[in-house]
Amino acid sequence: MGTRFRALLPGGYHRARMHDIRVGTEDVFKRQLELAARNYELLQRRNVRAFNVMGAIGSGKTLLILRMAERLRERGLRVGAIAGDVAGDDDYQRFASAGLVAANLNTGDACHLDAHRVGHTLEEFPLGEVDVLFIENVGNLVCPADFPLGTEGDLVVISVTEGDDMVRKHPKIFAQTDVLAVNKVDLAAFVGVDPMVLVDDYRTLNPHGKVVLTDARSGRGVEELLAALGL
Amino acid sequence: MHEYSLAHALLDGLTDHLREHPVAGRITAVHVRKGELLILSEEALAEAWRILTAGTPLAGSALRLEKVPVKVRCGSCGYEGPVKYAGEGWHFAVPILACPRCEGRAEVIEGRELAIIGLSVDEVTG
Repeated sequence: MGTRFRALLPGGYHRARMHDIRVGTEDVFKRQLELAARNYELLQRRNVRAFNVMGAIGSGKTLLILRMAERLRERGLRVGAIAGDVAGDDDYQRFASAGLVAANLNTGDACHLDAHRVGHTLEEFPLGEVDVLFIENVGNLVCPADFPLGTEGDLVVISVTEGDDMVRKHPKIFAQTDVLAVNKVDLAAFVGVDPMVLVDDYRTLNPHGKVVLTDARSGRGVEELLAALGL
Repeated sequence: MHEYSLAHALLDGLTDHLREHPVAGRITAVHVRKGELLILSEEALAEAWRILTAGTPLAGSALRLEKVPVKVRCGSCGYEGPVKYAGEGWHFAVPILACPRCEGRAEVIEGRELAIIGLSVDEVTG
């Protein structure tokens, strides 16, 4: 029932008047940004260089982190990892058995990490024992884009086995992430994917982004990826 | 993906606001600024709003979204304003987060917000 119509209803000497009021409620993301800023300050203060590693399920995030950690440890740096997953501790076990200082972060049902959860994990994490910290996000190319964690840098990992249309299907996360690893390039010919399609799409969206072709299994591209992250 | 929790956060904020600044009459629409970069389904947000407001004084109010286009500030040339979009061949227009003038690295200054900016009130007076 429209406002005007009701004003004409019999029996009422009511007069309906529509008006607009300006209100300013707090931005719902403000709290997330404040918490991310708090994480950032904590990491800076403790001299830890942290990276948010996002990417699709099965794209190779965990193995890439392990490979980067191997190279960094050869340089004498101490490396830690936070394994973000909906459930289970499989990635945590892989990090821990490789000798990384590790923590498990199960989100329960949430499909992404957020600054609040990461903040609590950082409170318990032995930050004094690491120089570089990789925070592996939940496998997902949608939600992590909206939730900054307070890291120094972001990396998104996709693999050629997901198809050469991945960037076009999830443009917003790629437009906002400064480093892209196109992983499993050794399999490109087997799955009929041209990795350069992914690279070109990413460059269109993100002219300042850095893109590296990697194969975590063999270690190809890992040094270049570290350089792209400023490590 | 987070429409329900975001609708909840909007409703919480508005409920707090209305407790301190009550309005006379029925709220028919709630106007929201929604940054273009947010990955958020407008249909799902409206549905979450409908469910969450049922049985409250805000029941039946419509959520009206005003899309806020991306704005950037360029670190190189000082440009401030809208960006270019990836067009041809892309299913949706996607903002390119670089300076449209000098192609320099640019910082996003608008396009990630989600906040209530106004209410439409149907005020019935005797």
